Amino acid sequence: MAQYRTEAAPAKRAESAEQMFGWGTFFKCQIAISLFYICIRIYQQYFSWSKGLDFFSEDFRVYWWNMLIGELIIEGSTLIFVLGYIWKTRDRNLDRITPEEELRRFWGLGQWIVTFAWAVYWGASFFTEQDGTWHQTVIRDTDFTPSHIIEFYLSYPIYIIIGISAYMWARTRIPLFSKAHSLPFILTVGGPAMIFVNVALNEWGHTFWIMEELFVAPLHWGFVTLGWCLFGVYGVAAAMCPRIVELIKITSGGKATA
Amino acid sequence: MALLTQQQALSLERKFDIIVIVAAFTGTVAGYHIHQMLTVGDWDFWLDWKDRRWWVTLTPILLITFPAATQYFMWEKMRLPIGATFCVMTLHFGQWMNRVFNFYYWAWFPATFTAPGLMIPSAIFLDVTLMMTGSYMFTALFGGMGWSLLFYPSNWTWLAPFHLAYKHPSGPLMSIADLMGMEYVRSATPEYIRIVERGTLRTFGRDVTPVSSFFAGFISGIIYLWWVWMGKVISKPVWLSRT
Repeated sequence: MAQYRTEAAPAKRAESAEQMFGWGTFFKCQIAISLFYICIRIYQQYFSWSKGLDFFSEDFRVYWWNMLIGELIIEGSTLIFVLGYIWKTRDRNLDRITPEEELRRFWGLGQWIVTFAWAVYWGASFFTEQDGTWHQTVIRDTDFTPSHIIEFYLSYPIYIIIGISAYMWARTRIPLFSKAHSLPFILTVGGPAMIFVNVALNEWGHTFWIMEELFVAPLHWGFVTLGWCLFGVYGVAAAMCPRIVELIKITSGGKATA
Repeated sequence: MALLTQQQALSLERKFDIIVIVAAFTGTVAGYHIHQMLTVGDWDFWLDWKDRRWWVTLTPILLITFPAATQYFMWEKMRLPIGATFCVMTLHFGQWMNRVFNFYYWAWFPATFTAPGLMIPSAIFLDVTLMMTGSYMFTALFGGMGWSLLFYPSNWTWLAPFHLAYKHPSGPLMSIADLMGMEYVRSATPEYIRIVERGTLRTFGRDVTPVSSFFAGFISGIIYLWWVWMGKVISKPVWLSRT
């Protein structure tokens, strides 16, 4: 049966601390996300105005609608696969985990959270305000504009996948998070996830009430309150840091100064 | 045998610090920016909306939120009096990335037309007040007032040229900022707003600005206390069901 092998932890001690707590994954994740979104942004630059203004045109179907269908299929598959993998390989012997391995997993969780936060930046900040530029230029026509196809249906699901995966990873691998549900962690992941759900209300409201795009209209305030939940990232830090400091002291034989 | 030497232990602590800082920065950009753009947004997107009434009233009141909560976390947990400045820097990062790459390079709105309001002096004042007094109540009273009163003067220098009066050939006297708003078509701006605001010279600051700022300062203090409490609640490591 596939499972995360706590028993293998002693063998990892052969690795140096630099190898165990390296920056490789950190940079790979941030750079991968950044490059991906830069490519997406370039694609928008080329095709959003020239091929994306008429929802009923053949060009729109080719350049945008197919992209929408493709990204939704890939995102759904990815979410199922990643969550399935994390669950399948979960550690069933968390009680026997060594301090070194626990510390290594906190380092892993740190990479997850930073990657999540960076992905949320692109979705909730960069592409969301970009949507404002679209609506101030093109009158609201459909729920599936080149701006929405990137903002709502690409960048939001991506950070949701990373966030939920991070939560589940922590839940199945780190004793601190396996014993109880962390409310700040749930808020940090759940609030931005509900921003995606709030899209339905937003589009429904725009369809039936408000065709213009006043950004400060009350219709948008659901996004705001859900965005507040991101402040929970400080609560996650407050939960993790004391245990990390404790583990560093243990694994350094009490030589750490913190 | 210990896994880490003292040097490695210290290095690892710094590495975790970096992780926390980067996560806090990017997470705060996202949360604070979406809050900003959907509560103050239109007033801060456009030059001609940066007026002496609503802009100076709404912006400080609605933007003191995240700084207050961040101040609580950074002051209580780390004794760092930089919460507000840190928060505002995240917001400016998010705003400028957008104003440059999206408003300008995507939709071709002139950069001067969409430059965001500057909040850094206000944020420094709020942080210094907390550091000097060590009291949230005093920070709410004096810091909140300073946060608001400093906002308009901080932006005066770059806004001033757009306040100059201009006589439009069709008749109305308006500021250059108003002229830009009139001439540069923003299709989705509600028509009633564009018509009502035409030619009011509202971007001229005089007596209305300090009155609006004082009112904003009063409300900012209240919002500050509310959000300090929010920061306390949300950043607390609460566990839901311990098994």
